[in-house]
Amino acid sequence: MLKFIIVRFLSSIPTLLLLIIVSFVLMHLAPGGPFTSEKELPPEVLANINAKYGLDKSWPEQLWNYITSIIFHFDFGPSFKYKDISVNDIIAQGFPITMTYGLWSFFVATTVGIALGITAAVKHNTWIDYFAVGVSIGAQVLPNFIMAPILIIIFTLWLDLLPGGGWNNGAWQNIILPVIALSTSFMASIARLTRGSMLEVLNSNFIRTAKAKGLPARTIIFRHAIKPALLPIMSYLGPAFVGMISGSVVIDIYFSTGGMGQFFVEAALSRDYSLLMGVTILFGVLTIIFSAVVDILYAWLDPKIKL
Amino acid sequence: MTLLKTTFTKGATIALLAGATALSSVSAQAATPMAGETLAADQTYTYRMLDGIPSLDPQIVEDVTGSEIIRDLFEGLTNQDAKGNLIPGVAMSWEASEGNTVYTFNLRKDSKWSNGETVTAGDFVYAWRRAVDPATGSPYSWYMDIMSIVNGADIIAGDKEPSELGVVALDDFTLQVTLTKALPYFADMTAHATTFPTHQATIEKHGSEWTKPENMVGNGAYTLTEWKLKETTTRVRNPLYWDDANTILDKVVTLVISDENVAFTRYKAGEMDRTAVPTGQYPDLAISMPDETFKFPRLCTYYYVFNVSDSAPEAFKDVRVRKALSYAMDRDVIVEKVTKGGQIPAYTYTPGATAGFKVPSVPYGEWSQAERDAKAVELLAEAGYGSDNPLTFELLYNTSEGHKKIAIAVAAMWKQKLGVEATLANEEWKTFLETRNTQSFSIARSGWCGDYNEASTFLDLFDSKHGNNDGLYSNPAYDKEVRAASSSANANAHYTTAEQILADEMPLIPVYHYTGVVMLKPSLKGYPIENVMLKTYSKDMYKIEVK
Repeated sequence: MLKFIIVRFLSSIPTLLLLIIVSFVLMHLAPGGPFTSEKELPPEVLANINAKYGLDKSWPEQLWNYITSIIFHFDFGPSFKYKDISVNDIIAQGFPITMTYGLWSFFVATTVGIALGITAAVKHNTWIDYFAVGVSIGAQVLPNFIMAPILIIIFTLWLDLLPGGGWNNGAWQNIILPVIALSTSFMASIARLTRGSMLEVLNSNFIRTAKAKGLPARTIIFRHAIKPALLPIMSYLGPAFVGMISGSVVIDIYFSTGGMGQFFVEAALSRDYSLLMGVTILFGVLTIIFSAVVDILYAWLDPKIKL
Repeated sequence: MTLLKTTFTKGATIALLAGATALSSVSAQAATPMAGETLAADQTYTYRMLDGIPSLDPQIVEDVTGSEIIRDLFEGLTNQDAKGNLIPGVAMSWEASEGNTVYTFNLRKDSKWSNGETVTAGDFVYAWRRAVDPATGSPYSWYMDIMSIVNGADIIAGDKEPSELGVVALDDFTLQVTLTKALPYFADMTAHATTFPTHQATIEKHGSEWTKPENMVGNGAYTLTEWKLKETTTRVRNPLYWDDANTILDKVVTLVISDENVAFTRYKAGEMDRTAVPTGQYPDLAISMPDETFKFPRLCTYYYVFNVSDSAPEAFKDVRVRKALSYAMDRDVIVEKVTKGGQIPAYTYTPGATAGFKVPSVPYGEWSQAERDAKAVELLAEAGYGSDNPLTFELLYNTSEGHKKIAIAVAAMWKQKLGVEATLANEEWKTFLETRNTQSFSIARSGWCGDYNEASTFLDLFDSKHGNNDGLYSNPAYDKEVRAASSSANANAHYTTAEQILADEMPLIPVYHYTGVVMLKPSLKGYPIENVMLKTYSKDMYKIEVK
């Protein structure tokens, strides 16, 4: 197991380097630059700014400086758009926010989703099953960019119960709406996956044996059926987890949470090279870590896999 | 004009600005409640911002929202009142001599930094040198260049030292600026954030982190207490501000809300005092919420620019084609049916709201649309285009729903009236800028907002030497007019001629002049709706109880 983790860690280093180089090149290939704007800057002013941010150097030199400053100083450089703020600051400010609502969404999506899926499978072809399937299909087809403004209209404008946005240092009132909006579609997918795989497990031979032995239904489900039923869901949960904690453009835009989700698209559009690189690396690292975590969990759940 | 003397004494200022209000007030401009108004207990003003602020450094800031906050945190030599007139800030009075080439500002002695130190002329010298210093890398250093301060351009280009800038502190409270040419509106330019004083010791101590709330030292009516990039900023009243006694709002909060409809919902839920009118909803809201919906002219023009450079399509080198396309565009339909934000149809380039500028009459602006259409058909036929030889080209705009709607309407008008085949093309913003900048287009959407309230901020754009002359229009007669205007006593005459040249040569199609539309809660008073530069100062606003 330890060997697996070490190998996994070492093999991620070239992946990460490749990610940095490819993003860097693609980014510089895009037309325009961080300082092109409607009001074109006089050439000498532009030259001063480029010199300040090191953009007057050659690509390989810029790339080298960038990578070395990350490795030796853990410094992602200054943001080109948000000129008073460093990329480190932006991540330090935004990532904990994203993480908080992401973890809550993950918690809600998995508990509700799995519970809903299992109930539907156990009560197969009853009204409970139809209801659960109906809810999850409904939740899946309702995109969060539609749900978010509707939630604000209902809970803020009509009921006056919750603030319509902002983070407010993570007060619970501010977390509820983003979590509902973010977790719903994940919850729906998890519920449907769980239901499908649970049904399959419940119809398998070993469960029939357990039933024949006269084990109580509770023991059958929680002791024997759940573990194998969750296996296919695990492979969905890994990326879903990264998807949730790396935030969502929609959540950040509609709820003004100030998280990281919005920076990816925005940095690309404004050619904020350093911010875009910082965000890419952050999400790259997260993806690598959590796909490794999923692999480990898989081994733990499925005795057929040996690491 | 040999000597322009603009001296404000306290008494004169009050008489000038406050009219009949009580003489006990000693401020230049401050929040002044009217009789019968009861001040609200909670003096917190909250408004929506579209995006996080890129910078709160006066010498670096470029955007309108950032400048709005900076005007509260710092105070420059001059301010503007609610109507956009120039009023004293840190400078109590100023005078121009040597034919408007030397300006002397007399500073007030009671202006304090938020750490208690006195604001001196030296602080301005430091800030102005910092703005042009290449090491600062300010994207707005060009503003100091157009202020025509001696050696400014050379310092930016790296040919001279920042210390050689033509600005000196004659003593702690007298600042003298020497210009390379006469600039009658120089004092007006000092109400802009780039020229605001900054605190040398603070900047040297904290470097690029000096604008963080815990580090910042300012001299404005408010101090920054919170800055969360994509969420909120908070500024609270500064008790050391020289006119704090006449300030009413205690706290100003901004909320970043990217989506205008969500912002409007939250505005209706009472979370804010000010937000933008969602696109296209102005006509309805003006009827359903008339007390809260406001429209005001802005110093911005929306237009289509023709590529008339060597790489241009042959057709656009013919003035008859350019005129035909301009004439056939029904601006009334665009502003009334498409944009629906109360915009003003444009036949000339500079907005009529620009100070001291009178919109010249150009013949085609006076015609009826039917007359314009008839003339357009005639001109295009003369130029040799018709059903057997249809004119085809690409109309380029940057990706946005709003620009797309306008482009569709315009292309349909051209197709219907002239049989012209305009293909629509859109590009993502930065790609679009690159395309437009390198003349790789036929006709492109453009917009321009004035940097200062004077017609040259618009008309200079079509000077053959201007960096934003994207179509590479070049006409010596035009250049002569706009260059002569800057030092002329009767600039308007030159501007009129320049506008007439544009209408005659049509290197651009003016579409409309922007209007701002804003929702304001009835409890908020003093918002300067009539200030076309949108120079707001929270110290001049206040909130009242609304029954």
